[in-house]
Amino acid sequence: MSSSPALLEVRDLRASVNGKEILKGLTLTVNAGEVHAIMGPNGSGKSTLAYVLAGRNGYEVTGGSASLLGQDLLAMDPEERARAGIFLGFQYPVEIPGVSNVYLLRSALNARRAARGESEIDAVGFLRLVKDKAKLMKMSESFLQRGVNEGFSGGEKKRNEVFQMAVLEPLLAILDETDSGLDIDALKVVANGVNSLRRADRGFVLVTHYQRLLDYIQPDFVHVLANGRIARTGDRTLALELEADGYDQILAAANQ
Amino acid sequence: MARTGLQTARSTTDADRATVTPPWQVVAERNLPTIAELTWLADRQTGALARIAASGLPDSASEAWRYTNLNAYAKRWSGFLAAEQDTNSVAGSPSPSLAASQTVSPQPGPDDINLDLIDGRLSRLPGEVRQGLTIQSFRSLSELSRERVDTLLQLQAGGTSNDALVDLNTALLHDGLLIATSPGQQQLPTIHLRSHLSATSLIQSRVLVDVAPGSHLSLIVEHSGAPGCLSNTVLQIRLGQDSRLGLVRVQALPGDGMATESTLIELADAAELAVTSVDMGAQLSRQTLTILLAGTGASADVQGMFLADGNRHIDNQTSMVHKAPGTTSRETFRGIADDHGRGIFGGRILVLPGAAGSNAALTNRNLLLAPTAEINTKPELEIYVDDVRCSHGATTGQLDANALFYLQSRGLDAADARKVLTVAFLREGLSGIPDLALRARLDAQLKARMGKSSTANLRMGAPA
Repeated sequence: MSSSPALLEVRDLRASVNGKEILKGLTLTVNAGEVHAIMGPNGSGKSTLAYVLAGRNGYEVTGGSASLLGQDLLAMDPEERARAGIFLGFQYPVEIPGVSNVYLLRSALNARRAARGESEIDAVGFLRLVKDKAKLMKMSESFLQRGVNEGFSGGEKKRNEVFQMAVLEPLLAILDETDSGLDIDALKVVANGVNSLRRADRGFVLVTHYQRLLDYIQPDFVHVLANGRIARTGDRTLALELEADGYDQILAAANQ
Repeated sequence: MARTGLQTARSTTDADRATVTPPWQVVAERNLPTIAELTWLADRQTGALARIAASGLPDSASEAWRYTNLNAYAKRWSGFLAAEQDTNSVAGSPSPSLAASQTVSPQPGPDDINLDLIDGRLSRLPGEVRQGLTIQSFRSLSELSRERVDTLLQLQAGGTSNDALVDLNTALLHDGLLIATSPGQQQLPTIHLRSHLSATSLIQSRVLVDVAPGSHLSLIVEHSGAPGCLSNTVLQIRLGQDSRLGLVRVQALPGDGMATESTLIELADAAELAVTSVDMGAQLSRQTLTILLAGTGASADVQGMFLADGNRHIDNQTSMVHKAPGTTSRETFRGIADDHGRGIFGGRILVLPGAAGSNAALTNRNLLLAPTAEINTKPELEIYVDDVRCSHGATTGQLDANALFYLQSRGLDAADARKVLTVAFLREGLSGIPDLALRARLDAQLKARMGKSSTANLRMGAPA
């Protein structure tokens, strides 16, 4: 046990929602620098995995462990996980009228800095940072002053999620169906954003239903989630195989 | 030691009580003959006094007063009178200094006209009034203005012709304010009216606004007061054809202040009204807002916001009366009740037979932040014509669990996330205020209030 801990280490994780077990012993290791895609049919537990790792209320962990660089994630509140370096890109980003995008980002950045004992970010540096990242995501600067996701189209909301990720620079980004509801142009912008953030000390978990996203973001590993567990793991050719053959075969094997 | 009015009241029997002179009678009899400049008003005052003597103050037997009891209000008034008799002080009009208005710190724009209404009286006439604008006190009205005042005093905006609080105000008036525009004036400065109350009597403020045809006016009314203040305000407003009025009303009385307020507004053809109403103070506040869309194509937009924390009791009763064809109304009221606070909202839409092709929408959204707080909401639709579009809805709930988690997932701690969402909820109610400095000031006050309120952080109820 001399090697340093993995970025994300999930072992035999079990979780229930409203008393129904959704994750049934899931094990997954993500090392720094890697991109993992989690695929699977509807109801297989993909979004549950994302929420459990981010710490959402109502998702009860009944067994197993999850750690970020050796820290026990499951013992932390959602905000502590965020400050430790977790970012969840929501499948359905929430509209919050009355709270501007910049206000949210400044609060979020300062919360992280405070947790590390750093002073608040200076106004000029902050503005430069958000403007740079907005440009990266091809977002107009007027979006910054608008209410969080308020009146945004589906595509704009997803773009805003990746924009927030770019500003907050997490260690581990979990993107929950960030590709759903995007037209091809928006998909390219989102994929470009993600690709530009790939770094040796950062990992990604892409939860997706379709192979399409993986044409633009090339994953190091593809996992198929079925019945609350990882049923198969492969490289990106597995995604192509699934595209061609569907999930049935794997599901059949998982249910045995 | 002289016996106070309260002790007297306690010691009377039921049979005696009928003979106890009610406080309005005491004050009216004292005032009526003393103000020479208001003799033209005497008949009206006598009539109003007779009506209020017969009806008394509104009580909870009527639906509109079901949740607001004026006993404490009447008691405080009696206490003032008793104290007055004790000290043998001069009756009538106290003369508080402007220095008493420490609770207000407005930063109006450079071109604004600032008016200070101290206990219902204008402290001074503005030095230079722009052409096209008339600002006069009831005690120094021109002949033309008196006619206007006479008309406006009778304005009922489709409300009941026998309103006890309006009568009370009329009966006890010792002054009033008229603001009138000239036809077609569209570049008038914003009028910033600061109404400040002292604590020594039941203060009657009367403000009449006449927005002439084709003119545009922006009026901000801010209510402040000394601790223990008590008031009964009436605003009567007429919008002429094609005129526009932006009215912002801010109630920021001290935490033990009590206030009743009746606002009556009538709109002629194609007139446009935008109202923002904010309640952040007082122990007891009751506003009755009645809007009559009397002219074809007239439209009204009302945004209301209240914060009923501490022991505050805040009651807003609005009535939107569509009388003419093609009239439009949109109303959004939002409120928060916290601690032992109580918020009451009644929103009535009345569409009369003549109002075909009208459009009315009413929304009331409330947040209940503590199990000991209370919200009562009642939207009401009365429609007497087929060809209309009406919608109404009321919700009372807690903070959105999705939004809370979203903010937490970005790194804000739970308490901060709740505060941010609470302030954001109320801030929406300020979005219609055109004066950005005022909006920023109210926003800052809200933030400070929610920061102070420990309950907002601790008791807002983490979603199960």
